[in-house]
Amino acid sequence: MSISAQKAAPSAADRIQLEVQRAIQRSIKGVEYFASAAPVLGTTEKDLLHSRGTMKLYHYRPLADEIYRVPLLLVMATTNRGYILDMVPGQSLVEFLLQRGFDVYMLDWTAPRPEERGLKFEDYVLDFIPDCIRRVQQDSGESDVSVVGYCFGGVLSLLYASIFTDGPLKNLICFTTPIDFRRMTLFQSFSDRRYFDVDKLVDSVGNVPPELIFQSFEMLRPASRPIGQIQLWENMWSDEFVKSYRMFDRWAQDTLPLAGEYFRQTTKDLMWDNKLYEGTMTVGGRRADISRIKVPILHAVAEHDHIVPYDAAKPLIATVGSTDKEEVILKGGHVSLVAGANAIKRLWPKLDSWLSERST
Amino acid sequence: MTDKNEADKNAAGKKAADKKTADPVQMWHSFLGDMEKQFNSMSNQAMESAEFSRLMNQMTGASAGAKKAFGDSMEKYLAAMNLPSRSEFTELGERLLTIETRLNEIMSLLRRVHADVLSGDNAPSAAPRPPRTKRPPSKSGDAT
Repeated sequence: MSISAQKAAPSAADRIQLEVQRAIQRSIKGVEYFASAAPVLGTTEKDLLHSRGTMKLYHYRPLADEIYRVPLLLVMATTNRGYILDMVPGQSLVEFLLQRGFDVYMLDWTAPRPEERGLKFEDYVLDFIPDCIRRVQQDSGESDVSVVGYCFGGVLSLLYASIFTDGPLKNLICFTTPIDFRRMTLFQSFSDRRYFDVDKLVDSVGNVPPELIFQSFEMLRPASRPIGQIQLWENMWSDEFVKSYRMFDRWAQDTLPLAGEYFRQTTKDLMWDNKLYEGTMTVGGRRADISRIKVPILHAVAEHDHIVPYDAAKPLIATVGSTDKEEVILKGGHVSLVAGANAIKRLWPKLDSWLSERST
Repeated sequence: MTDKNEADKNAAGKKAADKKTADPVQMWHSFLGDMEKQFNSMSNQAMESAEFSRLMNQMTGASAGAKKAFGDSMEKYLAAMNLPSRSEFTELGERLLTIETRLNEIMSLLRRVHADVLSGDNAPSAAPRPPRTKRPPSKSGDAT
């Protein structure tokens, strides 16, 4: 056996001693875990530029002495909170971008109120996003704006880009964005038109409750939560593991309700009729054909994404009309693509290098 | 020796070393990982069936129906008690939302006017922002 192999394999006595120490630490830290508050996330300094119902537009305070000319607007998915892109210092995409010299804005969402149950794609694509882009232009004094859309934020950004083809969009970046909804096989099963009465659901509940959204995500990997809790207990001795677990768990459980009419449209137009992929999507009577998109586009997808399978995201780059287009497939899952240790090593540097060349 | 042979030899050596020092904790972790994958895979197969979809949506529909029936009867009860119902609160919320939107527009306008005033020659300067002159690093990796 080589020296390195001997080092890697401690003796049985050492192993037992280590496990006893960890068991003691687990008991002590287990009590701390239940007694302590959840971690504070999304702490990068920012100003609320504009707020309207469910829509919030933030501007992050620059961290560099010199910034790129073109501001960057992050469009968050409507199902989750934007702090996944700004977890804690050192693990924040927003902080990373600010340090690399980007001027960062975020279009984030809060829970739609009961009176916002009537919000539709028209509101998100023809009103909220253009309104935020106008405000970013005013605030930055620049006419060009780059947009980054995460998951369904990417879908909304694609719809915007395909309608406002002569607009101020300079670059479009999509993170794990589905366009072929037939390939989202489990969600297809959940929303099978033969059995799923979306009209009855929306007419009954108004806004679709967050529990339903959370449960549908959890059902994609039903064993992962109980196994994750076992792993948490096993790793209770490790402050780093516990911190990371709590951050991601808090975010995952912080699911937002969806506006009823928006959910109805998503189900009918995208899940049932696959209009985005078929090129037949319209928003407010305006054609939203993504082949009309000509701006430079980067699509980052995750190899092991269980929410947006690669097959559902794959056709995006082939379909858009841009000549400057690139897809990067990175190791990781739907969330670890954008946040956590994997993202720091893989996605963030790629995003920085791609965007910096196109932001002057 | 090729890289592949070297790699095979290393892998075989590692396996042998692992066998000699079978670590029950490591085995437990592997078992958990395998179990998670298998259970998820089996569940996903089951969930792709039409039968699952039918059952799941029957339950969701029944739950939504019950919620609506309960809401309707509650509304009648609240009306009888001369108390405001949820839908009336929602209507109030809609009106508040309109007022909030208007207020935000006024605030935004005021901020712009304020910024214009501050940008005058005699006014103190607003918080400075970094210049938008940054260039991408050169190919050699030097920042410019």
